[in-house]
Amino acid sequence: MTSAASALTAPALVATPVAETSVSLRGLSKSFAKRRGWGQMIRQPFQREHIRALRDVTCDIVGGEFFGLLGPNGAGKTTLFKTLATLVTPDEGTAIVCGHDVRHAPADVRRVLAPVIADERSLNWRLSARENMRLYAALNGLRGRAALDRVDELLTLVELQEASERLVGAFSSGMKQRLLLARTLLASPRVLLLDEPTRSLDPISARSFRTFLRQEIAIRSGCTVLLATHSADEAFDLCDRVGVLHQGQLIAVGTTSELVSTVAEERYALWVKGDTRATLRDLAASQIAVVVGEPVDEPNGWVRIELDIPGGAESAADVVAALARADVRVARCERMALSLADLLERTLQRYRRESHV
Amino acid sequence: MYKVAALIRAGWLAATSYRLGVIMSFGALILGVVPVFFVTRALQPSMAGVIAGEGDQFFAFIIIGMTVLTVVSAALYALPNALQTGATTGTIEALLATPTPVPTLLAGLAGYEVLYAMLRAGVVLLAAVVMGAHVTWDRFGAVAPILLLVILAHIPIGIIAAAMVLAFRTQGPLPQLVFMLSTFLGGVYYPTHVIPGAIQMISAIVPLTYGLRAIRVVLLEGKPLTAVSGDLFMLLGFAVGLFVVSTIAFQAALRYARRAGTLAQY
Repeated sequence: MTSAASALTAPALVATPVAETSVSLRGLSKSFAKRRGWGQMIRQPFQREHIRALRDVTCDIVGGEFFGLLGPNGAGKTTLFKTLATLVTPDEGTAIVCGHDVRHAPADVRRVLAPVIADERSLNWRLSARENMRLYAALNGLRGRAALDRVDELLTLVELQEASERLVGAFSSGMKQRLLLARTLLASPRVLLLDEPTRSLDPISARSFRTFLRQEIAIRSGCTVLLATHSADEAFDLCDRVGVLHQGQLIAVGTTSELVSTVAEERYALWVKGDTRATLRDLAASQIAVVVGEPVDEPNGWVRIELDIPGGAESAADVVAALARADVRVARCERMALSLADLLERTLQRYRRESHV
Repeated sequence: MYKVAALIRAGWLAATSYRLGVIMSFGALILGVVPVFFVTRALQPSMAGVIAGEGDQFFAFIIIGMTVLTVVSAALYALPNALQTGATTGTIEALLATPTPVPTLLAGLAGYEVLYAMLRAGVVLLAAVVMGAHVTWDRFGAVAPILLLVILAHIPIGIIAAAMVLAFRTQGPLPQLVFMLSTFLGGVYYPTHVIPGAIQMISAIVPLTYGLRAIRVVLLEGKPLTAVSGDLFMLLGFAVGLFVVSTIAFQAALRYARRAGTLAQY
């Protein structure tokens, strides 16, 4: 975590790695020169503004961990991945992957770490799946029978064995994504980088792909996985821990449940009938519960309201009791799952509040 | 070496997956020899004296020029084109993320295009021979090292252009400039000694000048390699000198692209 972030994040959020560290980032920073217009180039040829893509990122990821990177677009996730993949050189700080420094031993890093390039065009569409795999098997140092066996094994693993002789251009997006993953696994990497792997998949294919990632990659192969995602399903279901990046800073790290409990008040939905206004006003004034959004009319005169109730289940029971005392009928009260957008927004709010940004 | 072979094989399989395209392309190459045959036959009386020393038949003279120029074009453009296309599609990012050393990737990416150009050149030459071009068959083996030197003298230009692509996403004017100078001042369509004085000096700094002269002397005059040793040394000089310059340029471009974050960007 960044020095600023470690101060603001509750100790529970900083999971202390006990297993062998697979990826270690210390004060990693990277800036890119901002693109200038012609006018500015002529007026100020030697002045360049820079965008800070990564700021003092510090974090440890242990072997076999499934680590999610969350954050809005432009937060620095892809830059961090490209730095780890040795495609970008950091300005400051160190990134050590399985004991190898990305700056000083990039070739060694590429032997143990593999990024899954999610762009389908990075496959050769005029080659069959098998030929694509054979090419990358060779580039990863596999030869002869060993290469052919590994190609077969991985094509079977990603369920493309039957389609292996077809041109990749005729594949569906889901098949291409599976082939991209199989291509990366040829290297038998100890660290795998996945940048939004399910973004072009339909919901069913995405779910099946997530199951595959969990079962085959994380559990069976024991690979350390860094996953950049905008998907709540991926963050909550797959990741052992997640880190939240904002403007290049890692502002929180922890398990999703730790993040939720620390950065977000618990949200409940209640189905009520009766005049709730006075009671809800009192509850808000005493900071027991705050209404979120507008009430929604439901059939038979019921109204659905959403409340943020910081004190958890005990406070939720108090809220229901207070409503009952005010002759408000409560049909249902259920705890709502926090969306990824809510989690990110609240993490950001908390970061701003505590660092006075 | 097997990694280079794998890249060349993939390039070949991808290109030949357009089967009709391949057939039509080779058909067009063979048909293209026909007008050259008739035009050069018409010009033979006036050109016979001009080309003396580099063969006695203008048709064979031109065919050698055209075929070697095809190979030179591939050597100049294969790498920058591959990098430009690869950056757009994302294949370069995928290739660079493998543990394969960058020089091996470059050799594989350029290798297919150069070999394919040699195959095309071979087909044209064969068609020309069928149509009556005078070549000394037993000299083909001796031509191989000359052709290799011609390729090695031009590949570095492609590497410099590839470095430009990595750093600035444009090939720059260098390959076009060299191709144009080679075409008009390298002796493709006429011997360089007929070029007017001042401009003839430029042809002295065009590697193709030496390569074409050497190939013609060996293949069309039937002379041994020792007869063209001066031209071979010049080609070797170009190859070594340009290779050093291009290696430095490419390493610098790679460092710059990694620092600027443009390595796999277009």
